Amino acid sequence: MKRKRLIGDILVYGFLTAAALVTLFPLLMALMNSFKTNGELLTSVIALPTAVRFDNYVRTFEKMHYLRSLGNTVILSGVGVGLIILFSALAGWKLCRTKTRLSGFLLKLFIFSMLIPFSSIMIPLYRVTLLLKLKNSLLGLAFVYAGLGVSMAIFLYNGFVKSIPLELEEAAAIDGCGPLQTFFVVILPLLKPITATICITNVLWIWNDFLLPLVVVSDSRKYTLLLSTNTLFGQYSSDWTAILSALILAALPVIVFYALFQKQILKGISEGAVKG
Amino acid sequence: MGSRRHPNRSLLLFCLPALVVYALFKLFPAGAGLVYALTDWNGLNRDYDFVGLRNFAEIFHDRYYWDSVLFTCKYTAVMVVVSNVLALGLAVAIESRRRAKGFFRTVFYMPNMISMVIGGYMWMFIFTKVLYYLADNYGMKFLDRSWIGDPRYSFIAICVVAAWGAVGYLMIIYMAALQGVPRELKEAAAIDGAGGWISFWKIVLPMIRHAVTICVFWALNAGFQVFDVIYALTGGGPGRATQSVAINIYEEAFRGNIRYGYATAKSTVLFIIVLVITMLQLYLTGRKEQEL
Amino acid sequence: MKKLLSMVLVVCVLVSLAVIPAAAAGEELAGTGASKGEARKAELNIMMSFPQYMDQWETYCKQFEEKMLEEENIQVTVNLEMPSSDQYESILQARLSGDDAPDLFTLHANNIGTYNKAGYLYDLTEQPLADVIYENVRDTVSVDGALLAVPIESQAWGVLYNKEIFAQCGLEAPETLADLEAICATLEEQGYTPFMLAFQEQWVPQLMTGLTLGDIVSGKLTDWLERMYADQGSYDEVREIFDVIDLIMTHGTDRAMEEGSEAGAADFALGKAAMFVQGTWASNTIMTTNPDMQLGVFALPINDDPGCTLVNLSTSTTLAVYPESEELDLALKFANYVLDENDSSELFQACSFNPLATVHDYEAFSWVADASAYVADGRAYQDLVLPSSVTDEQGRLLQEYYVGSVTVDEIVERLDKAFQDANALS
Repeated sequence: MKRKRLIGDILVYGFLTAAALVTLFPLLMALMNSFKTNGELLTSVIALPTAVRFDNYVRTFEKMHYLRSLGNTVILSGVGVGLIILFSALAGWKLCRTKTRLSGFLLKLFIFSMLIPFSSIMIPLYRVTLLLKLKNSLLGLAFVYAGLGVSMAIFLYNGFVKSIPLELEEAAAIDGCGPLQTFFVVILPLLKPITATICITNVLWIWNDFLLPLVVVSDSRKYTLLLSTNTLFGQYSSDWTAILSALILAALPVIVFYALFQKQILKGISEGAVKG
Repeated sequence: MGSRRHPNRSLLLFCLPALVVYALFKLFPAGAGLVYALTDWNGLNRDYDFVGLRNFAEIFHDRYYWDSVLFTCKYTAVMVVVSNVLALGLAVAIESRRRAKGFFRTVFYMPNMISMVIGGYMWMFIFTKVLYYLADNYGMKFLDRSWIGDPRYSFIAICVVAAWGAVGYLMIIYMAALQGVPRELKEAAAIDGAGGWISFWKIVLPMIRHAVTICVFWALNAGFQVFDVIYALTGGGPGRATQSVAINIYEEAFRGNIRYGYATAKSTVLFIIVLVITMLQLYLTGRKEQEL
Repeated sequence: MKKLLSMVLVVCVLVSLAVIPAAAAGEELAGTGASKGEARKAELNIMMSFPQYMDQWETYCKQFEEKMLEEENIQVTVNLEMPSSDQYESILQARLSGDDAPDLFTLHANNIGTYNKAGYLYDLTEQPLADVIYENVRDTVSVDGALLAVPIESQAWGVLYNKEIFAQCGLEAPETLADLEAICATLEEQGYTPFMLAFQEQWVPQLMTGLTLGDIVSGKLTDWLERMYADQGSYDEVREIFDVIDLIMTHGTDRAMEEGSEAGAADFALGKAAMFVQGTWASNTIMTTNPDMQLGVFALPINDDPGCTLVNLSTSTTLAVYPESEELDLALKFANYVLDENDSSELFQACSFNPLATVHDYEAFSWVADASAYVADGRAYQDLVLPSSVTDEQGRLLQEYYVGSVTVDEIVERLDKAFQDANALS
């Protein structure tokens, strides 16, 4: 038995290690080569850099207006996710608790649009943002994200609420809580696991979304991190050292965020997925 | 107890904020898109004419569109299988062991945190620089392929990058589901040869079928709308060899003849295809779950 | 975990509630600044497809701001937007059709007709700049005599070649296809790769059709393009362009589909190949990569008739003024400033653009002189204006031709169809 176990360990860990190397390969190559000079990169892409130079980073940091872009991205994802959570928790809870024809219809209405390809609504959506004077406004864009993101979140909340016993709400009602109070005091805290999932998946979605800000944000002072990076690609299109350092800079905040909160992130996502 | 007597009124109140943003930024644009599909608008001129269903009739003869549909189907089929099998395999492997679980989980999920635009460029560096370097200097001749240029290999390249980005997410879902399965079963499933396979199919898989539904649903949906990865790596080329439907639509709307009306007609057809497949899948998995 | 989450939530909601009124108030404030007696404030939105020249244009916009403050007492803020060239057109279209046009924007000279029809171009004929542009360049940016855009990039171009390698091998610029074949043979004997191939982006292989079709149409089939527009021609008649295309593809560098245009230019500068079918707009990258490069230009021969060996005269990027701009005066001032008597030369030189107006007093680069020699001999033609969908299709099909997934017969058939489709739509 022990022997079998050992062989199993070797096989499984061997497989996992190989997979981990493949996964990290592009990140490591990008990191390593971002410290090189152009000449070093041309001579060998897999040799270690002769010295750790931050020249490329200094160059791209300025060009990307890194801190400003980072701030914009934080605001955009923070507000966007806040709105998605608030709006869809309210709706998802009620939709699950109300058993009428209307609720069935609304739920289907919210869910069916998850299949609409973004490319088909892009131009009309752009015109709506103009009409509402949301162009170049990060907060306006956050509302647009709320509109695009509520379907999935409502779907998840709706599924999750099913697992919450009705008695709690009834008890709250007997204690004289109104529906809103019940929602904020009783329900919202119970929704935390799924809220964590929604929070995390949506932060990642908005943080990494490219096409929508590309169309809606034209003022370079409002650029998100990805837009600034993208502008840089055009400027340095053949200079891999500059591009790679920009890629690392753009990926850095997510990786730091991940390193700090990875337990919460992974737990949130897994808890939600099973119950949702 | 207003909500008891007027359930719909209170329901609407609670749904109102979500409904407003949803109607403004998703339903209305989608509806407006449908209207454009009936016109010959080129996305540029101020006026346009209604052409009825002519755009839709034209789609039936549009060879490039159906080629891209075929390509997308092929891509989706491969991705649904590959990403789910890989994710499940990794999840089972990690969950069956006691040590270094956290480390592997962290590593495999990492790509999912990074934008496909960023990841795509990193892979571009691998495919256009690193692999050739290895091929030329270390005799790894099997790497000396036109990874971006030759449609046979660029399909592989696209799948590799897409799987790189997606597997971590699916794996997390599978791992969570597997936590409800007794350890002995998982260990058996990971290594135990034939007996393990049977226990995996007969016991473990049914226990996590909910996760399988979620993951397949997610992969199908993502597969049919694939854009970023292909756009970043091949741009749909060479020629149209790796053009997905979303890229075909994008090109129709913004390149060449700039036929925005026609492009929205195409995306309506895409929407219908995705709808049918999803319905079918929900129907099938729903029936299976009832059986069990 | 719980605390963290609730904190994040509360912060998100609070921020979203608190910032909205503040932002709205901010916008109102910004609107009321103009009525004071000091300098008038104004904003000018400019959209350009030149991310590689971002620095140069930013500097130029700063100069414009200073000039306006000094001469007109207007405090202008220029918002310069430079999307990457992939997305440029789609963004521009969305802006224009969404009544949100930038005051000035760049576009390709071949699109001037389409944009003019849609009513997006201001007639610049009466502007001072009209008088300084060279006559032959002016024609490329005019429709029915009306000047519709400021030319920025204009060039006579053909095939770039490395003069040093040619000299070492005792070679000279070819006059006929046979010459070119001989050049390829000699180069390969000496261990050089004749052609740099960089086909990753569709527009680069497309340059081969741009040059060869131009040659053939000006050299012998002068009515071909007219007949194509009337649905009475076929690519079958110009099939011989594949003689030279085949020659280029078979004597080129490997891994062409992995090579972007910029990377190709850099590799060409480093001597990886002796010739490169690419316009002189690549010279900036080439000279930055290798400042000692001896760059030359020759006309691409397509057959054994030297009369078909011509250089292409074309204008690519131009700057247009939006007719309904709220700051039309200012926009026109900027358009004129692009060809300013004192400052324009410096800008054009910094971006390695070719001189195209009388205000440009700097000396042309040696490779420009090469091409100009052809023009002086009358061996040049105006770039053909094809429907842009056909141009795109040519690029795509040449990529496919290179990887071997289409034959010449299929290319002829599909291009004929693309041309007829485009005709049916216009």
